[in-house]
Amino acid sequence: MSLLKITGLRAGIGDKEILKGIDLEIGPGEIHAVMGPNGAGKSTLSAVLTGKPDYEVTAGTIEFMGRNLLEMKPEERAWAGLFMSFQYPIEIPGVSITNFMKTAINSKRKSEGLGPIKGGDFLKLMKEKMALVQMKPEFAKREVNVGFSGGEKKRNEIFQMAMLDPVLAILDETDSGLDVDALKIVADGVNALHTPEKSAIVITHYQKLLEYVKPDKVHILKDGKIVAEGGRELIDKIESDGFEQF
Amino acid sequence: MDSNSSKNNAGRLSEPGRVHSRFASLAAAEYGLSSAAAPATHQPEKKIRLVSEAQGGMDRSCHQEVFTVGEGEHLDITFIVLPGTSAEIPVTVDITGPGAEVELKGIYLSSGTDNVTFDITMNHRVGGSISRQLFNGLATDKAKCAFNGKIIVAQDAQKTEAYQENHNIVLSDDATVDTKPQLEIYADDVKCSHGATVGKLNEDEQFYMRSRGIPEDEAKVLQMISFVAPVLAGIEDEDLTAKIENAIRSL
Ligand SMILES: Nc1ncnc2c1ncn2[C@@H]1O[C@H](COP(=O)(O)OP(=O)(O)OP(=O)(O)O)[C@@H](O)[C@H]1O
Ligand SMILES: [Mg+2]
Repeated sequence: MSLLKITGLRAGIGDKEILKGIDLEIGPGEIHAVMGPNGAGKSTLSAVLTGKPDYEVTAGTIEFMGRNLLEMKPEERAWAGLFMSFQYPIEIPGVSITNFMKTAINSKRKSEGLGPIKGGDFLKLMKEKMALVQMKPEFAKREVNVGFSGGEKKRNEIFQMAMLDPVLAILDETDSGLDVDALKIVADGVNALHTPEKSAIVITHYQKLLEYVKPDKVHILKDGKIVAEGGRELIDKIESDGFEQF
Repeated sequence: MDSNSSKNNAGRLSEPGRVHSRFASLAAAEYGLSSAAAPATHQPEKKIRLVSEAQGGMDRSCHQEVFTVGEGEHLDITFIVLPGTSAEIPVTVDITGPGAEVELKGIYLSSGTDNVTFDITMNHRVGGSISRQLFNGLATDKAKCAFNGKIIVAQDAQKTEAYQENHNIVLSDDATVDTKPQLEIYADDVKCSHGATVGKLNEDEQFYMRSRGIPEDEAKVLQMISFVAPVLAGIEDEDLTAKIENAIRSL
């Protein structure tokens, strides 16, 4: 059974259709790369998958672990194991990373009928996952993304992913704006969480990340449609000839 | 006029929607700094004024409350207006001596058909004094809130510092908030600034939190708590903060 199955998906904002019929299937443990020119609809696909309210789905279905994803609220999708690393992470002034993560974890536990996580367990988890992405401990007290550098924001996304331990992670250009060392840290973080059951969609413009996080399949998205699919050989083809060929 | 602070405020005002909560954290930092700068021997007594209709007195009765703050004196009052309260709160502060410091703050949480009006007059009669105002309000349902804040700096009141911020979040289509800052500055060597915003809770923040599994209502509560938090900075009263949090959850 597939983990995620997108069939004939059309979606847009207002009158503007952005996704024009997408079919995509992801099995457990698979890593899929989605590449494509600016404005192709990659972030729109991520937004629709995670349930961003501004977007309207006009046709098609999305099944996630056998459930109708389109009927689920964003928070319910997160509880079911979906996670997106934002291309542009949002600042939340006045809310500390600790408070943010504790509320997120306890909300999920509540949805499962569990009580709040024990203080000690939570701190241990925070420490462990911050170390995984080499985030300094003082970040725990900082307001979410406020005043973070571009690279720190991306690292914070992977930290949150590690904390929430999703079944399917969507990384929307998590590598953009990272220096070489940070790229390695983020890639190691992603690989550390990758198990035979866990899958990822890696959206990127660069082959560098895909050298560390090796995709099983590559999809080329252009003008709201998937115009080519294949293995890693597609990455080299894009690198040498760009997207015009498709 | 201190051109820097005026410019800052203009910048904040030009970005409605995101401004208030971002401002909130800025304000927290500013307030933290300023109270740290006060000499330890002059720590003002922090007064909390819980405004409720049952108390009578100034509520709905338009009794002008006048505080006179003399040389080297400190005044620190925080007004708290909880949901279910309609009140007119006219407050005049007369600063009559150099070295006076005034902190006037407030939170108003208004719902139903609450009608809350602050009429503040900050009167710097003498120079070398400082006043800081920070009022943050949340209005929902059909509540009507108004903040009229006047700062008067007399001609001889040189080296006055007077700051005023009023930020509002409107949670429903039918609630209204009216904010009127008014500066009457007759001295030329002063630092004064004011900032007023009316906006909504930021939806991008909400989606970000929801995408991490925080339910929509809880996300809003986090936003509202962080919005009023700067007003409560330095107040360590757990009963009060719990009361405010409960009130926020009820909005
Ligand atoms: N809120 C919006 N209103 C109008 N158009 C939008 C909106 N959001 C996205 N679009 C448009 O939809 C198209 C796809 O945008 P999207 O962000 O999905 O592209 P992308 O593939 O992620 O691009 P990039 O590589 O630059 O991140 C673009 O033309 C964009 O301008
Ligand atoms: Mg994008």
